[in-house]
Amino acid sequence: MIKKQKYIFLYALLLTFIVFNIGIFMGYMLESSRVSKINTMYLDAEMELLDQMTQKDALNVVNLDCDLLVEENVKFADRIFEEALLIQKYEEANKIDGDIKFQHKRFDLLRTLFWMNSISIKQKCDSSYHNLVYFYKYNNPTIEQESKQKFFSNLLKELKDKWGNAIMLIPIAADNDIPSINLLTQKYGIDKLPVILIDEKTKITDIENLDDIEKYLV
Amino acid sequence: MEILPIIYLGYMFISFYFLSVFLFLFFNNRKRLFDYPKPKKQYSISVLVPAWNEEKTIEETIDHIFRIDYPIKELIVLNDGSTDKTKEIVERLLKKYPKLKLINKKNSGKGDSLNAGLKVAKGELVVVVDADSYPDKESFKKLVGFFDDEKVGAATCVFVPRNRNKFIEKMQVIEYNIIAFTRKLLGYVDAIYVTPGPLAMYRKTALNKIGGFDTKNMTEDIEITWRLIQAGYKRKMCLSTNATTTVPDNLKAWYIQRRRWNVGGLQCMAKYKKTFLKKNMLGMFVLPFFILQLFLGVLGLGVFLYLIVTRILSNYIFVKYSVSVGVPLITMEDLYITPSFLNYLGIVLFITGMIFTFLVFSIMKETVLKKQNIFNILFYSVVYLMAYPVIMISSVYNYFKRDKKWR
Repeated sequence: MIKKQKYIFLYALLLTFIVFNIGIFMGYMLESSRVSKINTMYLDAEMELLDQMTQKDALNVVNLDCDLLVEENVKFADRIFEEALLIQKYEEANKIDGDIKFQHKRFDLLRTLFWMNSISIKQKCDSSYHNLVYFYKYNNPTIEQESKQKFFSNLLKELKDKWGNAIMLIPIAADNDIPSINLLTQKYGIDKLPVILIDEKTKITDIENLDDIEKYLV
Repeated sequence: MEILPIIYLGYMFISFYFLSVFLFLFFNNRKRLFDYPKPKKQYSISVLVPAWNEEKTIEETIDHIFRIDYPIKELIVLNDGSTDKTKEIVERLLKKYPKLKLINKKNSGKGDSLNAGLKVAKGELVVVVDADSYPDKESFKKLVGFFDDEKVGAATCVFVPRNRNKFIEKMQVIEYNIIAFTRKLLGYVDAIYVTPGPLAMYRKTALNKIGGFDTKNMTEDIEITWRLIQAGYKRKMCLSTNATTTVPDNLKAWYIQRRRWNVGGLQCMAKYKKTFLKKNMLGMFVLPFFILQLFLGVLGLGVFLYLIVTRILSNYIFVKYSVSVGVPLITMEDLYITPSFLNYLGIVLFITGMIFTFLVFSIMKETVLKKQNIFNILFYSVVYLMAYPVIMISSVYNYFKRDKKWR
């Protein structure tokens, strides 16, 4: 029993502070665990990419099976696309821990490296798969950009379901101020986001029907 | 951290703080919630009933007051220029009740009518009863004891909606009971900020000392209470008696009533702005509480509208693109929800809020749980309360519009 009733205002403030501090601490722990999960995902992906690159370099030295290498490459592309979607979900839910943005940058670099590797494998193995690099706006997209990006994301999933191993999906945030990505977007004349770059040649920013993209995949 | 999560956190903090205040007050006083002091002396009471076009209810109100189990000195009906048969009905009742008095005056508003009554009232205590309210038989008996403490300036009780069949009326039953319960709790820290019109008992000397009712305020009951606080008088609330009152039975009437309450509140805030954070309950709690409510209401509605508009716009663009190309609108990823810590905190707050609501219901079960079901309670908690900020915005507009007119 609190003898002086007016102290209740202070007790309530204290309780609120305690509950909120516990809440924020637990929130921080939750978000940290997500960041840690992303970090593990990154390390796995990095390892796998290094393996891919080693295999690609080995092509010059020993006679490796190109079909197997391409197959591995497609699998890896599928995986990083799925992981990109998961990271996006985590980013929407993470409110305190800013580390997730740093992780996103690392993944962007990794995907860029993968893209370069994919170009190289395609040339060396004379493969027919298509690189679909999806450049999107990461920082403060407008409502129009955000809606379009959601639509592009679903569209790419549709294409993947339909075209399977014939396409490599590589999502990259184009506005994270990473020099190598800046150089590449400059080289391919990417000045509007979101955009899908097909086989380093065709840029697609507006789509009226699926044929607008599929005609480049045939 | 982005601005929206900070705003959400701020809202949750303030809501949780006030919930904690009420929970602490409840647990600290739970054994004496229904207590009321037995009077040490007999008080003389004048009842004032301001009436403007109240032909439908005035007779029953008068009958109710004369049936009250406490002797009254007089009942003064203040006919505020009624154009219906209010005057004739009261004149007829004058023969039946010798203590009934009628003052006919030009229409000048409730505050002015009450002041007219105050001038002629002879009782030590003055009871204001709205002409569409019906005090419980024991109401006066249970309220007078508070006035043994000379610092008490006013006392009030629970109000129960008389009409309670329509959905909107049931919502008000829940609302009135939560208000009564929280008012009782606020009484323990001397923070009662209104002694409402349906039934409020005042010490006449206190009313005279502060100069009677404000004739310009749209909620003279809030204003007079604030002035009593400023003058150092205590206000008390009794949970063990009630008065039934007629509540709006349609959305339009309900909206107009709430807007009037809010505009009155804004008038009070403007009038007492200089007391902000001054060392009494008015400056330290009541006024900041009102300002906070206004600020949070306006800001909350602004954020809500922003989110709704951007969401609609965003979905429209997304659907337009998706439908034109034939891409699915929903994918499995959309069904996979990743909650943020704000969601978890929100759940904690919601559960605490519901615990408090059900606590009120379990304590006030006689009046609340009758004819109520879980849907009504949830609707009240989730939807009904959402209307408050909308009315608040409309009231702010109305306040400034009227303010210009008055000038």
